[in-house]
Amino acid sequence: MVKVLVVGDASREHAIADAFARSSQEPKLYAAMSRRNPGIAKLCKSTGGSIAIGNINDPQFVVKAAQEFHVDFAFIGPEEPLFHGVSDALEEAGIPCVGAKRYMALVEMSKAFMRRLMWKYKVPGRLRFKAFKSLEDAIAYVNEYAESVAIKPARQAGGKGVKVIADLQVYLSKEKKEVKAEHVKTVYEKHMAVYDDIDDKVLIEERVEGPEYTLQVFTDGRTVKPLPVVQDNKNAYEMDIGPETGGMGSIAGPGWLLPFLTEEEYKKSVEIVQGVVEALWKETGVRYKGVISGQMMLTALWGPTIIEFYSRFGDPEACNVLPYMEADMVEVSEAIIDERLNTVKIDFPHIATVVKAVAPKGYPDHRKLAAGHPALIDEEAIRRRGCKVYYGSLDERPDGTIVTAGSRVAEIVASAPTIPEASEIAESCIPYVKLLDGWGLFHRSDIGSEVLLEKRIEQAQLIREIYHYRLSRGLIGRSIDWIPGRGKIEYEF
Amino acid sequence: MAGIVGLYAFDKLWRMSRFTYYSLLALQHRGQESAGLVTCYGEGLSELRGKGTVDKLFTEDALTSMKGWMSIGSVDAEVRPESSIQPVVVSEPVKMAFCMDGKAVNWRELAEAEGVKSASDVEAIAKLLSKSIKRHGSLEGAVKLLESLKGGYCFVALTESGEMIAARSPSGLKPLVIGSFGFDYGVIASESCAIDVIGAEYKADIPPGEVYLFTPYSIERARAEKSEVTYCSFEYVYLARPDSYINDISIYEARVRIGEVLAEEHPVDGDVVIGVPETAIPFAMAYSNKTKIPIAMGFVRTGPHVRSAIKPTQFERLVGVQLKLNPIRPAIRGKRLILIDDSVVRGNTTKNTVTLMRNKLGVKEVHVRIGSPKIMSHCPFGVEVPPEDELIARHLMDDEVAAVVGADSFHWLSVDGLVRAIGVPRHMLCLGCFTGRYPPCFKG
Repeated sequence: MVKVLVVGDASREHAIADAFARSSQEPKLYAAMSRRNPGIAKLCKSTGGSIAIGNINDPQFVVKAAQEFHVDFAFIGPEEPLFHGVSDALEEAGIPCVGAKRYMALVEMSKAFMRRLMWKYKVPGRLRFKAFKSLEDAIAYVNEYAESVAIKPARQAGGKGVKVIADLQVYLSKEKKEVKAEHVKTVYEKHMAVYDDIDDKVLIEERVEGPEYTLQVFTDGRTVKPLPVVQDNKNAYEMDIGPETGGMGSIAGPGWLLPFLTEEEYKKSVEIVQGVVEALWKETGVRYKGVISGQMMLTALWGPTIIEFYSRFGDPEACNVLPYMEADMVEVSEAIIDERLNTVKIDFPHIATVVKAVAPKGYPDHRKLAAGHPALIDEEAIRRRGCKVYYGSLDERPDGTIVTAGSRVAEIVASAPTIPEASEIAESCIPYVKLLDGWGLFHRSDIGSEVLLEKRIEQAQLIREIYHYRLSRGLIGRSIDWIPGRGKIEYEF
Repeated sequence: MAGIVGLYAFDKLWRMSRFTYYSLLALQHRGQESAGLVTCYGEGLSELRGKGTVDKLFTEDALTSMKGWMSIGSVDAEVRPESSIQPVVVSEPVKMAFCMDGKAVNWRELAEAEGVKSASDVEAIAKLLSKSIKRHGSLEGAVKLLESLKGGYCFVALTESGEMIAARSPSGLKPLVIGSFGFDYGVIASESCAIDVIGAEYKADIPPGEVYLFTPYSIERARAEKSEVTYCSFEYVYLARPDSYINDISIYEARVRIGEVLAEEHPVDGDVVIGVPETAIPFAMAYSNKTKIPIAMGFVRTGPHVRSAIKPTQFERLVGVQLKLNPIRPAIRGKRLILIDDSVVRGNTTKNTVTLMRNKLGVKEVHVRIGSPKIMSHCPFGVEVPPEDELIARHLMDDEVAAVVGADSFHWLSVDGLVRAIGVPRHMLCLGCFTGRYPPCFKG
């Protein structure tokens, strides 16, 4: 009997574990978690497996768990264990692993590494950027040059610390400059302060705009097997208002595309992700084995463009695709490990899926307030409505009570022929996620709604018209400017 | 009438005063008598207000000195005593700044019942809100106030502790919209143009009866009990800016339809169509397109944009019109002119214009078409309409008006025509200033 270790404790890992549990090989499931996710724990138990609680970023802990459980292979869900070399350590201990090696995971961990790689190998969809090691240089640059930019911690910092400033009104430029400079400081002093595993501190990138989407793929370093595209919704509150979160919910389908993405754009996106996997191989001679996701945007500059890479599934995006994947998760994993992913067929039904995250008040910026509240999820009621629920930032205490841990507590997944229908079904399950002490929960009822979908389609069409124009003029990958007094400035990407 | 805004950043790095200033500048057409701006930096309020227009009131230095990532502001067309210039600040029981557009009809009774003393409606309502949120919490307190306070109004309040409350009366009479800028701030405003000018994105119309509560930890919404919705129709004729959306209807498109209906209702043979700047320009363009009579540019403005019709004195209105209307002679001279204007209240600014055309420039004919129905009655919701004995349409027939202003013909848009142009069912519009019949929210 196959034994599998899933590393991680969020909704994404619950969805991964659930996909393994559906395998016809009936694997025994084990989990290494930093806290006791009740959904994953229950699933492991039901397969005859078990769990280990500890620091999942500590390679020794994960290796020890894998050895004690005698697992055949491990599947790593979140990015931090990858950044800490858990995949490398497992392989050294003779335990195969689906999950990028430390150096490969740099594609997510170091945004400068990723951009340099794309530039070096001329992968399309890249942006101009500058990476800074010193605070003074970064601030000087912001004050001197930066207009509309994205300021990011140079290292993946749990999705936090990214600020995108459209600086288009000269009359508001002074305020925006101040914010940019202050934010650079915040990135240095707050977001990057806890990390010493990377030299660059801050990345300043040209700002682009357009609809965003995530393309998640399985890869063995030779073949990429793309999954349907998914769109996450990052603003905390309805109508795309509010601070940035890890994602309040996501939509996919019907089928492989989204209503605002064309077949051609999908293909182009796959080529870009494939291009980066190949670039990593050329760069290192090592095969990327695991999941890699392009956080993409349709831009006027290129059409499909890379904003960031994930060295893993997105969360909530994983929950749109994994529950409906028509392939055996054990088989897929083994094929990745054996570098024969080309032999596996991965299919999906022609349906639309909507994921809605439910979060406690206080998330995303005041997580202490959001933590420590007793929660109850009526799984049975959700199942009766034909939906799935994946447990998220929850901790099951020894006495059996479940309390919030500060982030999104659960993700509800619904499917239907269209996105708005799936959205309504998911919406009907929201009341089954409760906090028992009266503390507030919130979610976004508008995700997947007709109104929001139409906005996305409209926005995509606008961008599409511009990049098609640029394509027809041979301007893709080039920028031409006129600076009075200096002349025509041409820039080849 | 007034224009109101509220800006709320999700990150303390932002200083919102200058953003608020530009939003107010975009709403300046909704009131030019006074303006004010209040910012909050988490534990206190910083205030600036006075008589006059925003560009004169708020200096660079003043704006830079106002710290805070939350802010509300207003422009006001109502002449108020110095002490009640908006936004007003009340200190008890919850300290907050408050500004509103529109009027409540029963605020005196509610104030009396609550033991609130104030001669100013704005101050009294601010105190009522303060009491209500102390008693019921911010969201529920605002909802409760909306359910008891009858009339047509919107308000934005900012508490000292950093909560922003925005609300639209259940009647929906006054407009209110919401927008945002990335992950950085949310913005509430009377019209969408105030969102556009600061580079933020217009998101949606705020439905009648809705309360928005911004706190450091959340944005929450609640809806007051339903009542009959009646949107102000005069917003579409005159009040709002043509680049704005109100009730999810483009003002520009509504004005184009008004011009088309005007052409259908009152066609006339002529050589050229001229629109009186600025509100009547879309009417004139549409009238021309519909009738195939060419349009020409008739006037050039001198000085800043002044909303001549809502100036408080006749002197100011005439100064406004005369400065606004220096004619371009070759476009007009010797022609049969179709002159399109936005509204005629007393008739004397129109007379001034027509006389100028005839006496100074020499035109063959002047046919006046007005993109508004006859203004017959006052507005109980705060739009500055003169006393009824001054309203020309109330007292004279169309041909008499023509004779008074010196036109060959003179016609108003019909009320039905206006309803058709706006595209909202008649029972959902307040047409009080044209008909003298006011919607249910007027009765309290």
